Amino acid sequence: MIRYFIVLINVILVSCSGSLNKNSSVRNHTHTQEYILKSVNFEELTSVFLRNNDTLYVINFWATWCKPCVEELPDFMHIQAKYEFTNPFKLILVSLDRPSAFESTLVPLLKKHGITADVYLLDDITRMNEWIPAIDTTWSGAIPATVLFKNKQKLEFHEQQLTKETLQSIISQYL
Amino acid sequence: MKTLGIILMSSVVLLGACQGNCKQNSSSKCGDETKKTETTCADKKNDTLKSAQLGDVAPDFSLKNVDETMVSFSNYPEAKGFIVIFSCNHCPYVIAYEDRMIALHTKYAPLGYPVIAINPNDPEVSKGDSFEDMKQRAQEKNFPFVYLFDEGQQIYPKYGATRTPHVFIVNKEKSGNIIRYIGTIDDNYENPDAVTKKYVENALDSLLAGKEISESKTVAIGCTIKTK
Repeated sequence: MIRYFIVLINVILVSCSGSLNKNSSVRNHTHTQEYILKSVNFEELTSVFLRNNDTLYVINFWATWCKPCVEELPDFMHIQAKYEFTNPFKLILVSLDRPSAFESTLVPLLKKHGITADVYLLDDITRMNEWIPAIDTTWSGAIPATVLFKNKQKLEFHEQQLTKETLQSIISQYL
Repeated sequence: MKTLGIILMSSVVLLGACQGNCKQNSSSKCGDETKKTETTCADKKNDTLKSAQLGDVAPDFSLKNVDETMVSFSNYPEAKGFIVIFSCNHCPYVIAYEDRMIALHTKYAPLGYPVIAINPNDPEVSKGDSFEDMKQRAQEKNFPFVYLFDEGQQIYPKYGATRTPHVFIVNKEKSGNIIRYIGTIDDNYENPDAVTKKYVENALDSLLAGKEISESKTVAIGCTIKTK
């Protein structure tokens, strides 16, 4: 009995210390799926979705203080729930919050809204004028904005708030 | 049992038809039509109103300042041009730049280029961006520049402003007030001490020296302009 208890305590301690590191994976408790939560620069971000693997990547640019961005997050969650386990699909949420606000603002908001998806804080402020046009030359920099990639090809770019209906009709063309 | 089957079949057919309709309509849709706060329609290709480009004449206006007077370009007969900044109270990117906006005006107004800040947001949709809120912010921060309210939101679409802050440097030339720079203030909203490219200052220095502006268009992340 005591042995069981010791093992249990150790397991809890190990998993807790894992989640305290901001660059580690966050274990979501409702699925067995692990989600990523970390700061990256632009090259690290693009390496995540520029892949030849037949996966449809839906990349949403947002920030915690951007009201329409936060409003549309549940719609993205709905779409993820629909496609995540049954299709080659990956939702990527790219936060444009201040890097210094990672722990104080980003993490609490994700918890508060029950956001379970891969979240990357794009910490590459000084090169905005380079990576914004690299994502799309028509992008003025306003958020929210969503871009779709598959096999290193950009399929669509939308500089606007999207509903789950619109998302679905966009995504279903490519799955 | 038969009735249930028919109901089920009809539902499937109806759902299928709806799906088809949604698909067709999505391309002309501009965001959500129901209850959500909406961003501006960013598909400028479909806009019948052409937004201003570099080299165009800057759209004139007559807008109310926080001191209740009306302001237009003609209020500045001695100016060589203007630093028009679409700005607001609530956006964190603007707030990060407020001190730098004050510094720009302090440095360049005496040289002939005053800052003209314009709030393009609809206060019904954007809490904290009402005229009263603007007055308060101008007082708190002691803005040395005018802070105008784009009542009816008629002016910002003519410029093609899509976010706050969004800077348009206007230069008085023979053919009129010409837009010579569109974009952001510098390359680091978060840390003024880590700025390496002062886009607006460089553009203004070029204009003052009668030289070509090397970087006349830049982009940065900003808050969408709030409209119904």
